[in-house]
Amino acid sequence: MTNPVSISAEPLTDARVESYLAQLDSALRGLSTEEKQDILLEIRSHIADSVAAARDREAAVERVIRLLGDPQELAQRYKAERMLTRASRSFSPLLLLRTTWGWAKLGMKGMVALFVALFGYGVALALTITLILKPIMPSRVGVWWGHGDLNVGMVDHPERMHELLGQWYVPVIVVLAFGFAVGTTQALRWLIRSRAPRQIY
Amino acid sequence: MYSAINSNGNSDRGQHWEAQLRKGCLEMAILASLWQSRLYGLEVLRALSEKSQLEIAEGTLYPILSRLKAQGLLQSEWVEAEAGHPRKYYWLTPAGRRRAREMAEAWNEFSTNLSALMQPILGVKQR
Repeated sequence: MTNPVSISAEPLTDARVESYLAQLDSALRGLSTEEKQDILLEIRSHIADSVAAARDREAAVERVIRLLGDPQELAQRYKAERMLTRASRSFSPLLLLRTTWGWAKLGMKGMVALFVALFGYGVALALTITLILKPIMPSRVGVWWGHGDLNVGMVDHPERMHELLGQWYVPVIVVLAFGFAVGTTQALRWLIRSRAPRQIY
Repeated sequence: MYSAINSNGNSDRGQHWEAQLRKGCLEMAILASLWQSRLYGLEVLRALSEKSQLEIAEGTLYPILSRLKAQGLLQSEWVEAEAGHPRKYYWLTPAGRRRAREMAEAWNEFSTNLSALMQPILGVKQR
């Protein structure tokens, strides 16, 4: 693909068009400069083509701007489309969390996904923290059973409880933490692919 | 965790697009419009409007084109045009052609089945 920046844009000197593109430009912040340039050039090209054939230039400019819609909304569509596509292919918990956070604002399904994300990554993180604490306080960190309670991690009175894993604590918890992280990532990828709004009509 | 998620709906992971067939009509129409030739955005809009009376707003089209490209179904190139400004042409990648074909087949099956169901209704009306 040729670099869109290097191509001189059509000298379309209409204040409304320039103002529209300026608003779109600022609404698209967050995308890379290259992506932004590409979108702006395409929209500019579209406006120029739509207006070119029209007899009443004024009305044509008015019309195409109305059909493109509010620049904030148009930018939002671009962002939503890209974010979901990227996230559904990503293995990065950060990107998945960010996307799910945005999705949760749109409705119930997104909130369920966010709950899955927070719960799954939360458990994985908590387990990882106990792994760090284990060498520091070997006698207090473990999987504890006592008084009808099962505790994973640190307890205040280890002498009153029974530790179940012993020397297996680290390998078992490593596998569990890893399993939660991977399981949550896969679940979110699946949720985003099959349940997220792919288009905002 | 998976079973809990799967229980809230159909769960064919590999073919999630099929479940979204109706919602994805627009996507299908856009891919179909590019079956025969490379087009730029405005031409896609015109093709849809002329061939299938499908009027979609430009504010809807461009973000979808952008996503289809990000998904690897479309490829694009800027071409300097006589009009004095460049145009961004889109065409189907091999994956895009495959997807368009799958969608056309699924759509065909779907509409044939529904047509059979609708026939009595239309038959009564015509009489």
